[in-house]
Amino acid sequence: MSSAHGQGPKAPHAFMQHHYNTPEQQAGAAKLGMWVFLATEVLMFSGLFLAYFIVRMFYPDMVLGSHELLSKTMGGINTVVLLTSSFTMAMAVRAAQVGNTPAILRNLYLTIGCALIFMVVKYFEYTGKFAHGIFPGKYFDYARAAEYAHEHGHELVGLPHIFFGIYFCMTGLHGVHVLVGIGVMVWLVFRAKRGHFGPQYFTPVENVGLYWHIVDLVWIFLFPLLYLVK
Amino acid sequence: MTIKTFFHGKPIEDAIECHEHVSPMSTYVTVLLALFVLTGLTYAVSFADLGPASLWVAMGVATLKASLVCMFFMHLKYDERYHVFVFLSTIIFVTIFFLFTIFDMQSRDRLNEEQGTFFRIEQGRDWSEAQRGNKAEADAAIKAAADAKAGAVPTPAMADAKAGAMADPKADAKSAAPGKP
Repeated sequence: MSSAHGQGPKAPHAFMQHHYNTPEQQAGAAKLGMWVFLATEVLMFSGLFLAYFIVRMFYPDMVLGSHELLSKTMGGINTVVLLTSSFTMAMAVRAAQVGNTPAILRNLYLTIGCALIFMVVKYFEYTGKFAHGIFPGKYFDYARAAEYAHEHGHELVGLPHIFFGIYFCMTGLHGVHVLVGIGVMVWLVFRAKRGHFGPQYFTPVENVGLYWHIVDLVWIFLFPLLYLVK
Repeated sequence: MTIKTFFHGKPIEDAIECHEHVSPMSTYVTVLLALFVLTGLTYAVSFADLGPASLWVAMGVATLKASLVCMFFMHLKYDERYHVFVFLSTIIFVTIFFLFTIFDMQSRDRLNEEQGTFFRIEQGRDWSEAQRGNKAEADAAIKAAADAKAGAVPTPAMADAKAGAMADPKADAKSAAPGKP
């Protein structure tokens, strides 16, 4: 870490790699790499979004009818939870920038907590669907799903198994991203506890933050498209 | 002894310092509140009767939320412009991907008509009927099999139905326990 004496040439942080000229260059390289990775993430999700838009273009009634079976309340709760977690993650990055380790840990715990709440709500949503025969693709049980829809004052329209195929793929892939996010945040907690992060070195916190924000961004688009069709 | 360090081709002072913009807390809190308000707006719009415009309004609000997250939470506003370029370039490629595919899908109808090919299932005539049909068939087969077991004289039709039931044990199990789990 940096010299405490204020005399003589200061040493760079402990994680400085010899092949960089300055810590700033090292941080910039890591961040550029992260942005390129985020770009590939956007491209990966864009395929699923396009599938959604094509299905919606050809079968608007089916998408409108099927989305009634999704719970707007649960989707809304998850949106608020994920936005809050994005905020706490940004707070963790800021805490690292100003060198406040207890605040890094506090905000990481809050973010992990929000991510877990998100997954628990998702679990109840999925099992609620499975219990009524609403499975993706060919596993969709039309008779049970129709009965369930009828109980709630809706009718199944067209090809609901295609809508739910897309629903499970999109939210499933997003859910996997949330789980990976929880994993890397736990790793950050261990490193923060060892006092690795400070104003001179917070690249891991910042890059995990960027990843977590892209997970949030995907959900910002998923929520109105899947849950709030009109 | 001083070692001159260069970054982006320029000599820099105090080379071992990281120079990152630190946003004040108030910025983050304001952005979070704005995101909540916009979520509420999306929710409200979904109940308003805007017709075909509602998709565009919903996407517009989502894009606004996304830009707030990108600019302030992801620090793109204060970051190197090159990161903005990397991120926005994906938007360009996604746009090309979406537009070309959607143009293609929409302009296929006449081609399909000319060639007599068919790729889109008509709404209404669909999966539900097919599944209902399968279920009726399976039920009949199970009933026939049960009759045969009860000692009825097996007719050729019943034997066929029994074979069908044996071939599809999943349908058998489902019909045997139609109640909810």
